[in-house]
Amino acid sequence: MRRIWTAMRNTPSLLAGTLMLVLMVGVALLAPLISSFSPTEPNMGAILLPPSSEHWLGTDQLGRDLFTRLIYAARTDLKIMVLAQIIPFCTGILLGMMAGYYGKWVNTLITLLTDTFIAFPFYLIVIIVAFVSGAGEKGIYITFMLVGWIVYARVVKGLSASYRSQEWIASAQTLGLPNRTILLRHLLPNVLPQAVIVLMTDMAVLLVAIVTLGYLGIGIAPPTPDWGTMISEGQPFLATKWWLSATPGLAVVYTGIALSLVGDGLADVWRRK
Amino acid sequence: MANRSRQQKKSVLVISLFLILVLALAGCSTSKPDASASGSPSQSEPASTEGASTQPAAGGTFTYARAASVTSFDLHNQITANNAFAIDKVFEPLVAFDNEGKLVDWLAASHEISSDGLTYTFVLRDGLKFSNGTDVTAQDAVFSLQRHLDVGGPLAISAKVDSLTAQDNKTLVIKLQTPYTPFITELSNFSNGILPKDFGGKTEEEFFKNPIGTGPFVVKSWDPAGDLTFEKNTHYWQQGKPYLDELVYKLVNDDSQAINQLKAGEVDAIETVALQNASELKQGSDTTVATNGSWVTEQLFLNTLDEHFSDVHVRRALALSIDREGLTNAVTFGLAKAATSLLPPAIPYNANDTVKSLTFNTEEAKAELAKSKFPNGFSTTLLIASGNSSRAQEAQIIQAAGKAIGIDIKIESVELAAFRERFFKYNFSAMINSGQADSPEANSILAFQTDPDGFSKSYWTHYTNDEVTKLLREGQQTPDGDGRAQIYTKLQQILADEVPYIPLFYPEILIGVRSNVQGLVVLPNNSVRFQDVQLKGE
Amino acid sequence: MTLTSNSVFHKIIRSTATIASPRRWLVRALLRAASVIVCVVTAVFFLIRLVPGDPVKMILGEYATAAAIEKMQHKLGLDLTPWEQFLRFLNNLLVHGDTGSSIVYEASSRQLIFDRIPVTLLLIAMACILSIVISMVLAILAATHKNGILDHLIRILPAVTLGMPVFWVGLLLILIFSVHLGWFPVGGVTGKGFEKTLYSLTLPAITVAFSQIPSLVRSLRAQMLEVLESDFVVTLKAAGIPRRVVLVKHVLRNSALPALMLLGVNMAYMMGGTLVVEKAFGLRGIGSLLFQSISNRDFPVIQGIAFYSALFVVIVGLLVEIIAGVLDPRTKGES
Repeated sequence: MRRIWTAMRNTPSLLAGTLMLVLMVGVALLAPLISSFSPTEPNMGAILLPPSSEHWLGTDQLGRDLFTRLIYAARTDLKIMVLAQIIPFCTGILLGMMAGYYGKWVNTLITLLTDTFIAFPFYLIVIIVAFVSGAGEKGIYITFMLVGWIVYARVVKGLSASYRSQEWIASAQTLGLPNRTILLRHLLPNVLPQAVIVLMTDMAVLLVAIVTLGYLGIGIAPPTPDWGTMISEGQPFLATKWWLSATPGLAVVYTGIALSLVGDGLADVWRRK
Repeated sequence: MANRSRQQKKSVLVISLFLILVLALAGCSTSKPDASASGSPSQSEPASTEGASTQPAAGGTFTYARAASVTSFDLHNQITANNAFAIDKVFEPLVAFDNEGKLVDWLAASHEISSDGLTYTFVLRDGLKFSNGTDVTAQDAVFSLQRHLDVGGPLAISAKVDSLTAQDNKTLVIKLQTPYTPFITELSNFSNGILPKDFGGKTEEEFFKNPIGTGPFVVKSWDPAGDLTFEKNTHYWQQGKPYLDELVYKLVNDDSQAINQLKAGEVDAIETVALQNASELKQGSDTTVATNGSWVTEQLFLNTLDEHFSDVHVRRALALSIDREGLTNAVTFGLAKAATSLLPPAIPYNANDTVKSLTFNTEEAKAELAKSKFPNGFSTTLLIASGNSSRAQEAQIIQAAGKAIGIDIKIESVELAAFRERFFKYNFSAMINSGQADSPEANSILAFQTDPDGFSKSYWTHYTNDEVTKLLREGQQTPDGDGRAQIYTKLQQILADEVPYIPLFYPEILIGVRSNVQGLVVLPNNSVRFQDVQLKGE
Repeated sequence: MTLTSNSVFHKIIRSTATIASPRRWLVRALLRAASVIVCVVTAVFFLIRLVPGDPVKMILGEYATAAAIEKMQHKLGLDLTPWEQFLRFLNNLLVHGDTGSSIVYEASSRQLIFDRIPVTLLLIAMACILSIVISMVLAILAATHKNGILDHLIRILPAVTLGMPVFWVGLLLILIFSVHLGWFPVGGVTGKGFEKTLYSLTLPAITVAFSQIPSLVRSLRAQMLEVLESDFVVTLKAAGIPRRVVLVKHVLRNSALPALMLLGVNMAYMMGGTLVVEKAFGLRGIGSLLFQSISNRDFPVIQGIAFYSALFVVIVGLLVEIIAGVLDPRTKGES
């Protein structure tokens, strides 16, 4: 705990990023306390109101308080952003370590898999999954389970390959430690930091992808509030009520900055070690 | 270390500055178009200057942005709007509807229907020529309609045709086996256009690659996955028309692209305007929105094979729970009329003002639900096609309405092709979709939505009511007049009482146009007539 | 999907680009490339058939009768089993080098794709050139003003742009530069001729470059600092060679390679990702054709696009490896 605190104090970008994230998560969690409006219930008597003291950011086309939707959307988007990364993060690291550590045919096979996915038009996968599973959260989870691991696998593979030639691995092997132990006990702690740094960037990339799905019309299904759908719903009013689509857009940018700062900060901390 | 952290503090500061900058940028950049909308018209407009360079009277190129390309001219095998509204520029029927939806003689100079409703006699106009200069004869008409009968196709002729004969070069006689009142109106469908006998000596394939008809325009160049350029048919029967030299159908399959191209003058009109964008275009000094009633009814369809919606009380309860006026206002910005009955106001025999419909009343809705097999409510799903924000909003309003009376509705949003697949298999509980007439004929919508024996099975609701079926058949055979009106009023009242579908609103047809365009005729089926169009110089 | 931490990235590039015996390497690389293409094509073929929806109903619309649908299905060979269809497809591809006839447009899918490839390739090429030029300028500025305000501003860039969706940037550019200022066409390629095409593609290329520049600047800057502080450059400076010459001739050249390779790898993503930019700018490229074809379930066109874009990605990948092997003296052959 103390170590974390020292690290934070010495790395302002980590501190700033973490604070930004904590603030956003806090607001998301406390959404019902912060706002008394419903994020989903239409209110036909209050359609497209401009910002006022009652509705800080005005209301949307169905008369819902925009600020309320914005903070409830943080719940949706942050949740998906984190959950959708779990499986690809794990499989990516595992496959990457295996490819790098074992080399030979394991590497060839995993590289073939990686290359295939890279050569596969990205949006073809996205759209196919969205079409098969219907628009919404489920599709996003499946898509990122399919393609999200590649980034980690590539990074971890390179690292693992470079560690393999190092002495401590060789000595562990001569000591007769089983491969599984070497992989999980010794190699994993060494590749994890780098993977976590990538995770930070990739969460932001995922968030942008969710928003882009909203633009392509295959985003989160209504009435769940989500920044992507909010941006595209506000688009027709860009000339008259720009805040409808600009504020959710800024929320995405804000999250991107926070994650990027944390990532840079972590990189600094680990580099110093 | 200290030095380092100072640097990083600096970068944090810079980030916040950047954020403010972005905010400001978002603010100013998005408020700008507002200024341009009310301010000076922009000067450089590559597409329209070409058109405007010639005097207002005649000539010029008109560019029309459309969301889907033209893939085929085979009028008997096509139905979708992307093809239909190109086909109707090349092929024309014997009768057509004017911009008020009234039936008028078109290629025919006159037509006559025998009193028993079995014999139809058409006399062709004098001097009628195809775009290649050859004369149009009654034999051509016989050939065209015969091919349509043989092909069947998606807009098949539903009358039982006994014979088609060319009495002489100018006179066509059609005999029916049984009277079928909608026949004359159905002849105005684009699929009943007239083409040269035996495809003018070409093969079918060749002919439809380079179609020849009587319409105001001729295909000049055509990329089935891109743009289509028409040129003026110099043999067109309406003297001196069309005024335009060329008409370009430009593929623009993104809503905001289309709007922005119209605003910048890169296109002269756009075929689809989202309801949300209409007011912006109306207020713009360079743009406007052309509207003209519509033959469309936006509806909430209820699958009568569904566990819950098979119960008429459930359907009635849901209908009572929905504030259609409020929904229409919120979703359409006053560009639509709330619906109470199935037929749009522009279609003869509509009963929107007379039908007693289930008007919004939450208490009555609850009482109605109490009479059903599910007095304590239930959970169900509402299917919509994704990527249509108006539909998504309707769905959310309906969801809230259901919630108020204890029906828990989950919205299921699937992509268009998958959406079609689902309802074709009756794999839905409720869905939002629209019914559309192809011609100003009550039967056009009614048959599609109430005939349990038709392939659409009452628009996939599987709604079956012998009384309704009987009235439908009677309506088809009763000649136009009060008798037919009574039948359709009665039919629509039953539909309003049993609600296999809840009519929500009648959306206006919206075409976005540059202000310098004159003479554009918007038809209630969403097609546009270009023969009178002139581009005024700017 | 495109960003990886750069230091790691360089390691990977170095570890993959290994040339021991050129001929053996080439055979292996080609074999690998071929198997990637086979995998992609097979996967796409069966995956798109999993998607619910029927191309015939997309052509004929909601009002089509069952008989009309059946007739069309038979005509298109869609009533065969997937395996039979697959064999037909392979036969077509291997014997005639064709990916089949488009269902919706009734034209050769290869022709459709080749008609649209130039726009996409040109867009990618322009975006690459723009990215390289802008990144180099920014990186030089940052590296030479290390820890100055300029450096900080430039280093913040990636953090801010990370959360900006491409379509958002595109939309903003259109509103400002096309609708309001009227400097560029709103969308599509207007006018004929190469010049006009380049002009029409300017905003889209800037948009694509916008997503590439941050990671390139990051990589270049780090690399340049490394070179700047190396003994070699210190010696040059001491020898009295002008700063500008050192910078351009030695520093830039030595630090450009990793960035170029990063760009090479990102080109794969660009190929698949131009879809969004093409949609936002109304361009008729491969991306928009792909989107249309998926919506229409136009299987042959989807398969064709998958085939050709996989081919493109694989070729670029090979080139990147070759360039890395030939140019980078640090790459030593190991296995």
